[in-house]
Amino acid sequence: MMLLIPILLAPAAAGLFCLLARSRPAMGLANMLAFGVTVGLGVMLLRKVIEPPYVVTEFEEFFRADSLSAWMVLLISVVSLGTSLYAGQYFRRDLAAGVVTAGRVKEFFVLTPLFATGMFLVVLANNLGVMWFALEATALSSVLLVALYNRKTSLEAAWKYVMLGSLGLALALFGTVFTYAAAVNKDSAMPSFNWSHLMSVAGQLDPRMIKLAFVFVLVGYGTKAGLAPMHTWLPDAHSEAPSPTSAMLSGVSLKVALYALLRFHILTTACLGSSFSRTMLLVFGLGSMCLAAPFILVQTNLKRLLAYSSLEHVGLICVGIGLNSPVTIFGALLHMGYHALTKPVLFFAAGNIHQSCHTLQMRLIGPGIAKLLPVTAVCMGLAAVAATGLPPFGLFFSEMTVLNGGFAAGHTFVSTVVLAALLAAFCGILYQLTRILLGVPKIVRTKDVAPSAGAPAMGLMLAALLVFSIWLPEPLLQVMKRAAGIIGGK
Amino acid sequence: MNSSESELASQLITLLAAGMLVIQLLMVVQRMLLTSIRLFALQSLMLAGIAAIVAFFHNNAIHVYWVAGLTLIGKVFFLPWLLNRLVRRIQIDQEIAPLLNSTASMLLCGGFTLLGYIVARPFTSLERLGNNTLAIAITLLLTGFFLMFNRRKAITQVLALLTVENGVMLAAVALTSYGMPLVVELGIFFDVMVAVMVLGILVYRIRETFSSMDVSKLSQLKG
Repeated sequence: MMLLIPILLAPAAAGLFCLLARSRPAMGLANMLAFGVTVGLGVMLLRKVIEPPYVVTEFEEFFRADSLSAWMVLLISVVSLGTSLYAGQYFRRDLAAGVVTAGRVKEFFVLTPLFATGMFLVVLANNLGVMWFALEATALSSVLLVALYNRKTSLEAAWKYVMLGSLGLALALFGTVFTYAAAVNKDSAMPSFNWSHLMSVAGQLDPRMIKLAFVFVLVGYGTKAGLAPMHTWLPDAHSEAPSPTSAMLSGVSLKVALYALLRFHILTTACLGSSFSRTMLLVFGLGSMCLAAPFILVQTNLKRLLAYSSLEHVGLICVGIGLNSPVTIFGALLHMGYHALTKPVLFFAAGNIHQSCHTLQMRLIGPGIAKLLPVTAVCMGLAAVAATGLPPFGLFFSEMTVLNGGFAAGHTFVSTVVLAALLAAFCGILYQLTRILLGVPKIVRTKDVAPSAGAPAMGLMLAALLVFSIWLPEPLLQVMKRAAGIIGGK
Repeated sequence: MNSSESELASQLITLLAAGMLVIQLLMVVQRMLLTSIRLFALQSLMLAGIAAIVAFFHNNAIHVYWVAGLTLIGKVFFLPWLLNRLVRRIQIDQEIAPLLNSTASMLLCGGFTLLGYIVARPFTSLERLGNNTLAIAITLLLTGFFLMFNRRKAITQVLALLTVENGVMLAAVALTSYGMPLVVELGIFFDVMVAVMVLGILVYRIRETFSSMDVSKLSQLKG
């Protein structure tokens, strides 16, 4: 039975349907339905890749899924489903408040599934060139989402996003071309550009070319993944986009770019047999974490605060992979999953607050959101506790796993820096959020307040986070172990 | 192909690649928007020429004709037409308004060319076609980046991005002698087309909201 092609077709079909449809509830429903289907297909894929031969290929190996891809498919579909659950009501309130036109809402429902289709194609494509243009497609579909509100600031954010993103992707394309050139032999016919093929001939690739290619790809895809110092578009785009889009950008889009980078990292390590690429990942990861921490401490804008927190989490994931022990890579993958469940909840809550208070400046919002929007405040508080890495939530375990593995493998310096950055971010986020959530409201706002807004989406994701924090089903564990093995080169 | 044919092809490609570099430098110094668009079209025409030569002389590279054709239709005719229309529609003035003056820009780009040659030096043995094509590709990348930062108008930044893309395509042909697989080339082609349309939409909206196309006015978001 075909699995990969339906995963791509379901959201694409939903996007096309929304283009033709007139009624807004139908569009929302189509989005939810499509992502519900992809979650189901993702689970089926997950069960399939943990059985021999551990790979699913379709369409003459054009599409290929191993455990790493299956894990990413699951993340993309779960975050997209959560987003589509939240988006319907969110835009109904926006329309009622008159901050967005009906045409723009339609744009959202058309572009979001296309954005997701692009991300699915990135993780399911075998051909590295196809992976590149799929990633470019995600950038192009999300840039109009960032500009959705058409405010001066959102246009500025969109312009920076598309310009820096395109520059990064141009560099990544150079890297992709170099990788292909490394596989070209003087006399043979055109070699295949499939990742699986390149891996099988990794020893024969030109090592200098592969090295040059990895540098280009790291800077290129690193820009899209928001690694410092190429991250400058990230806080702008995340804060100016509508909250459902921020959730998708932060929850999965960054990780999809990271996934593309990882494929090259695996190839480079297999070709060179050295620690070249993982050291680079480690350096950029640490840099991102250290840079994010001070910005979190002094941030005044709620969604920018969350964006910098994402930067820090992406940094941690890179560090986990850069440390390259089986434990830390496993921790990094686990962290990807838990972060994907946590960050959307925070952005949804921020969206509710934005709609009720008409500002994201924290000194104008707080204190006393808990009195004004109790459901939102509770969800935000829980998610913030999770995001800062406190038990009983999973991010505590994944952060501990990475740190433990780091110390155990003798990377004391790196682990200490990571710990310091995590602590700084912990203090920053909890301090900033308690100030706006707790206390007595200064002003009574009665208009535009929707106390139970977004409750189903936030509740569902938090519940999933809690369940998976305590209990990881066997297939999920298997997939992550296998994926960690793929990244670790075993 | 025999060696004299191969020599001819190699020389033609070197000539056209050098032409692409010259045009890039002309774009750095000249000041009119519509001229910039025409120069880009000319540069793309040379790229299409290179692809056509590769397809003609190389035995198993029939699909490179596709690349040549698509470049011709897309980058020589369609995109310049689209950008021209956009310029007319939003009625901006023609002056490009660079941040650095042309003498300084020219000097800097001379440096970039040198840098391109230094970076490409270890890899010259890997070039399948032409001489120094990889160096030119990397120079196109560097000067393209510079063009992007040195221009205030949104459309000129788009043009700079497109010249970088021309550089990538040149590198692809030079390093492999038959470009990338057709599906990848097609994908890249459509992405570039869509990218320019999306950028056009954004330029239009920026122009309407800010009543200017000066991207240095986009500076509210900080921290």
